[in-house]
Order: sequence, then C-alpha cells, then structure tokens
Amino acid sequence: MKMMMGSSFPEEVLEHVFSFIERDKDRNAISTVCQSWYEIERWSRRRVFVGNCYAVSPAILIKRFPDVRCLELKGKPHFADFNLVPEGWGAYVAPWIAAASSAYPWLEEIRLKRMVISDDTLELISKSFKNFKVLVLSSCEGFSTEGLAAIAANCRNLRELDLRESEVEDLNQSSGHWLSHFPDNYTSLVSLNIACLNSEVNFTALERLVGRCPNLRNLRLNRAVPLDKLAILLRRAPQLVELGTGEASDLRPDVFSNLLGAFSGCKELKSLSGFWEVAPGYLPGVYPICPRLTSLNLSYATTIQSSDLIKLVSQCQNLQKLWVLDYIEDLGLEVLAASCKDLRELRVFPSEPYGVEPNVLLTEQGLVSVSEGCPKLHSVLYFCRQMSNDALRTIARNRPNMTRFRLCIIEPRTPDYRTLQSLDGGFGAIVEHCKDLRRLSLSGLLTDRVFEYIGTYGKKLEMLSVAFAGDSDLGLHHVLSGCENLRKLEIRDCPFGDKALLANAAKLETMRSLWMSSCSVSFGACKLLGQKMPMLNVEVIDERGPPDSRPESCPVEKLYVYRTVSGPRFDMPGFVWTKDEDSALGLS
Amino acid sequence: MGITSEQHSSASSIDSSSDPCAAAATSSSSFCAPIQSNNSARFDLSTDLRLGLSISSSCYNDLFPTPTTTTRVQPLSWPPIRSILRSAHLDKTLDHKQASLFIKIYMEGIPIGRKLNLFAQDGYDSLITTIAHMFPTTILCPGADRVHSDKYHVLTYEDKEGDWMMVGDVPWEMFLNNVKRLKITRADRC
Repeated sequence: MKMMMGSSFPEEVLEHVFSFIERDKDRNAISTVCQSWYEIERWSRRRVFVGNCYAVSPAILIKRFPDVRCLELKGKPHFADFNLVPEGWGAYVAPWIAAASSAYPWLEEIRLKRMVISDDTLELISKSFKNFKVLVLSSCEGFSTEGLAAIAANCRNLRELDLRESEVEDLNQSSGHWLSHFPDNYTSLVSLNIACLNSEVNFTALERLVGRCPNLRNLRLNRAVPLDKLAILLRRAPQLVELGTGEASDLRPDVFSNLLGAFSGCKELKSLSGFWEVAPGYLPGVYPICPRLTSLNLSYATTIQSSDLIKLVSQCQNLQKLWVLDYIEDLGLEVLAASCKDLRELRVFPSEPYGVEPNVLLTEQGLVSVSEGCPKLHSVLYFCRQMSNDALRTIARNRPNMTRFRLCIIEPRTPDYRTLQSLDGGFGAIVEHCKDLRRLSLSGLLTDRVFEYIGTYGKKLEMLSVAFAGDSDLGLHHVLSGCENLRKLEIRDCPFGDKALLANAAKLETMRSLWMSSCSVSFGACKLLGQKMPMLNVEVIDERGPPDSRPESCPVEKLYVYRTVSGPRFDMPGFVWTKDEDSALGLS
Repeated sequence: MGITSEQHSSASSIDSSSDPCAAAATSSSSFCAPIQSNNSARFDLSTDLRLGLSISSSCYNDLFPTPTTTTRVQPLSWPPIRSILRSAHLDKTLDHKQASLFIKIYMEGIPIGRKLNLFAQDGYDSLITTIAHMFPTTILCPGADRVHSDKYHVLTYEDKEGDWMMVGDVPWEMFLNNVKRLKITRADRC
C-alpha cells in the first residue's frame, strides 16, 4: 500500500508536501522510506545541520544535498569553552566555504559554532553568495574586523550578523570603522550582535546604520558603547525587541533622565542584556519596561548587587529567562520565585569563580525556592558552593518537567554539607523524577553509584558532563550501556579507563562524540578502539609528545572520539595522535 | 551522524550503516562488575598521581601555571565558565595575586595565534623561554646583537597606542601595562 502511494503521486506533489516538513529528524525519516522519497527529499532539502564538521566532508554533503540554502556547522568539542582544547586543534571552516561557494550559489545562511574562520574566508562568503542573509558566528575565532568589513560592504541583503561570544581581533587602529562599510543604501538589517567586540565602534556609523534599517529588531552592543549614547540609538529604533547595552560606570542625572525617556518609548522591548559596569543608579531607568521583559541577561553586570537585583527582578513578572551573577543571593532567588511565575530558564554564574571562600550568600536554598515557585522552570545552570541530597530530592520532586539540569559546585568533590555523604542519591533523584531530562552536568562528591542511577533512569539523556567523579570503570560502563539516547559525553578527571571504553566500543558509533581528559585511558586502548571501529576517529591530544614514548600504563592526556563517514581528518596538528600515524611511524 | 538534527541521531541515509555495531557488541558481555573491587586501589592511587602529573608534566603548564594550593586544579578550566564571562571578571580581579593577563601571540607565517598568560612570567627571560616552547624558532633575547638571518626571530609587541615596539625596550612592569599583543618577527626584517 505504501509503495503504491509513493509511486502514484507525481514528484512535484510530494515535493510540495515535503516542503511543509521542517525538522531534520522528520526529513531524515522521510528519506528512508524508499528510493524515490530519498531522491525527492535530498533535492528539496534547504537546511542542513552538521553537528561535527569532521563527521562528514563537504564533498559528501554536496553530493547528497545539491541545493542547500542554510548551513549550520559545529567544530571544536564543547570543552573548548573552558580552555581544555589546545589552540590550533582544528575546526577550520575554510574547506566548507570553498566547496559551498561553487556548489551553493544561493546559500543564504551560515551558522558556525566553535570554528576557526579567517578574514579571507569571510571575504569569500561576502562575494560568493548573491542572496546572503544570515551570518552567525558563535564562539568562533581567527578573524578580525577586516573580515567583518568585507561582509558589511558586500552582503547587500544581510539581515543578521551575530558574533555571539566570538573572539574578534582588531588589526588596525581604525577598527571601529568596519561598520561604516555598510553601504548608504543598505537597509535590510534585522539583527546585529557585536557584544563580544573589544574594540571601539564608530558611533556615527552605528547611529546611521541603526537609523536607516526600519526592520532592526535585535541590537546587542559591546561595552565600548557608552550608556549616554544609548538614548540616541533607542530614539532612532523604538521598534527594538532585544537590546544589549554598553557600559556606564558614573551616574549622571542628565543621562539618566534622557535614558528613562528613551526606554519609555520602546514599546516592543522584550529582552535586555549587557549592563557592563553599570552604576546601579541607572537601573530605575529600565523599570518602565520591566513588566514586558521576557528575557534578562545580567551575567556581565558585575556592579549590581543583591538589593538592586531584587528591586529589578521583582518588577519583571513576565520573565521567562534570567541569567544572573550570584550577587542575587538566596534572598533574591526567593523574590524571583515569588514574582516570576513564568520563568523557564535560570542561570546563576559565580562572581568570584576562583576565590576559595564564598563572597555571597548563595546556597542550595536559592535553587530550591525557584523550583518551588516557578512551575514552568525546566532549564537550570547553577554555580554554588554547597549542596545537599535533600535539596536535590526536593528540586527533583518539585520540577519533574526539568529537561536541562547543570549544577556546578565550585570546589571539586564537595560532599553533602550536612551529612558529608556523596551526592549520588540527590542526582539519582534528579534522573529518576525528571523523565524528560536531556542534558545533565554533575559535580560534587560522586561515586560509581550515581552513574548506575543515570544508566538506569536517564533514558532520554542526550548530553552528559562529568568532572571529578566516579571510582572505577564501572561508572562509565553504566552510562554507556544504559543511556540509550546519549549523543555527547564529556568527562574530565575521572578514573575511567580502557575496559569500559573498549567494552562499549559499539555504543560510541551511535553517539556524536566522546571527550575524556585526565582519565585513565591508555594509548594502547585508543589504538585498539580505532582498529576495532573503522567508522570512529579516535584522536589522542597529547602535548607532551608521542604517547607511545611513555610507558603503556601512562594514561593519555585527552581523548576525543567521534563517528565519521569521511575517514581521518587531514588537518591534525602535531599534538594529535591516531592509530594511523602510529602505524606509519612503525613502518618507517 | 554527520548530518542530523540537534534532537536526533542518524536516520539520514548519508551514513546509513548496516549496523557495524554488531561485530563489536560481542565483547561487551565480557564486562563484569568485579572490576571495581580489583582495581579501586590502583585507581585511587593513579588518580592522585595523575592529578599532580597532568599539571606539571605537560607543556600546558607553560600556559597555565601550576596553582599554588593543591585544592585548585587547573584554575582556568575549572570551574567551567566561558571566556567572555571570565574576561568580565578579569577587570575586577586584576588586583588579586592569582589573576591572569592573557594576550595573544602570533608568529609570522603561522595563521593561528596562541594565548599567553603574562602574569605567569617573572620577566623577559621567562617570557622568551615560554615562547620558545610554543613556537618552533630561536628568539633573540632583548639587547642581544642584531643578527640578520631568517633563522632567528625577534619578539615585538603592539602597545596601547597601536605602535609596534621591540620587546625589552621598557622595564617589565611598564611592559605589562602597555602590551596589547605579541608578534614573532623575522630578525632580518627589523
């Protein structure tokens, strides 16, 4: 019957039907129905997401999907965010853009995460795609404001330029002038995020750009744009929906009243961020718009303390997302829980991450309060210095709808501060009660038992981050053998080794990647894994030199394993070692 | 696999494997519980050793100095905070002794720069030694006789005004206040 239906529809009809199906997962399913659906689907696929740029080659991608308009690529492992991946590791986007520039002339969107992109590549993007609209560079590096100038000068239809948390060099002194490369008749900008730029921006160019783009909705400035000039921008763009401010350390009454007036005129504003070094006295300036805000990011607001945060947060009754420093303290989170019933996502970052003693009164109690007061809360990232199993159990019972739970107790291997027991039971309760949990980060004192709980209950878990935990191979074995939907596993400083890794070699092919650093894996096991599983790239990162120059028992520094359909990569730096390199050395 | 959605593993036929897992799966049955009791002592020991070793024996150490207290492990990779947030904190913590001053260092002909913590250096000598570990070249020390050869390199820096200067032209403390980035340049081009 299905076969009949498949063959009786004209291709054009099926193609039209398929055009309504957007999720990659559904499109992947369609393509496995039969040969003709596979063909129709691949010709009509416009968006492609590649979760690991080394899992497939540009040539394979282009052969399979000949007419892509939106390309999203991810590069380095997640732990690169925390300085664990050496510089020069790879994730260069140049081969992808070179291939796309000839194969996809109608490419409209490029979204990159943790990749290295040069100014030359940015220039190639700006000149290759006639209808280019969206460039998102998230945690990328390798480029400067000169590359941005090329994008500004050549992409006439650009709607979005988002630099997220990228590292942008400014190679000449007039670097702020890149903004003036947007042509005078360019008006299509919808979203501009330059919050990560360290350099000054040319305010005149910025003001003119903001003024002539009537569809501008999102504007995230960097800290170099002083608050006293913000009012000018807001008056030119009262239609803004998302705003990231610059910095202002001195409170000036004239600036304040000007700002208050400008904010009152922004009727659409729903999201605020920035506030670098902002004098707390400026905060009442945003009170008028607080009831409308759904998103507030104060994680750079290093000058705003508890009482000011409490006044601000208590007025944001429709808040759905809050990122904040731990200056908010337990008391502030209690107010948050009482005021913001629509809260879905909470991130609390440490204000003094490297201090040994607590500088604020932020404990497990703050998170317990929010879990009680905010029924829609489902995503949490929480840095604190003490935790208890009771608190974790309460949170788990309060919020079974939790999908992302990341807890970082700053001092490694911190036990339950009341009982001095491990936190196995508490995290066990989280995985047991939160049936839809997709992402989990563990911290504190943990034995193999917590991994048994995770393997038993974490059936929907997709990403797990582990540090300073476990006692033996058994811990890793529980996770790899139990978590059916695990796609990414990252581990550091845990006593997991060869046995668990080799026994679950087949599991690794069902996952996107595995990262293990400062664990107990030997180079011999890595080579064996690579030989046993030809679809896996098993890469050892060791900056001390060839791993086989050390005793077999000496564990490798870092291991990164990922599945791939394109074989070993060609751009491995000298500190990455694989089985192939080793065998080549052996032959010579 | 390569091409999938964020929510889903591979159903795409770009990598439609005919279950290559089957061959490897046989070995998983040999995995058994007693590992824990057999090896726990060894693991505990090796963990302790490794935590010390992994810091001191790697050349990572040149970039990220060994913490002075044993309770702090690799202060810049733990706790896990993104770099942009770390730099937001940097301004506040510059007075603290454990603070770091990261700048980028480039070498002619090498497209990718590396980061270096200047606060981990005692002075110019230790800076040169550290850089010698990071880049494959011999760097002439400040004040040494100028040798015109492409085998040797000199260290230059961009100061706050945007001018490129020879490293060593001012006292170390003044250098720390002025330096924006470092570049290794061929000696014969100076």
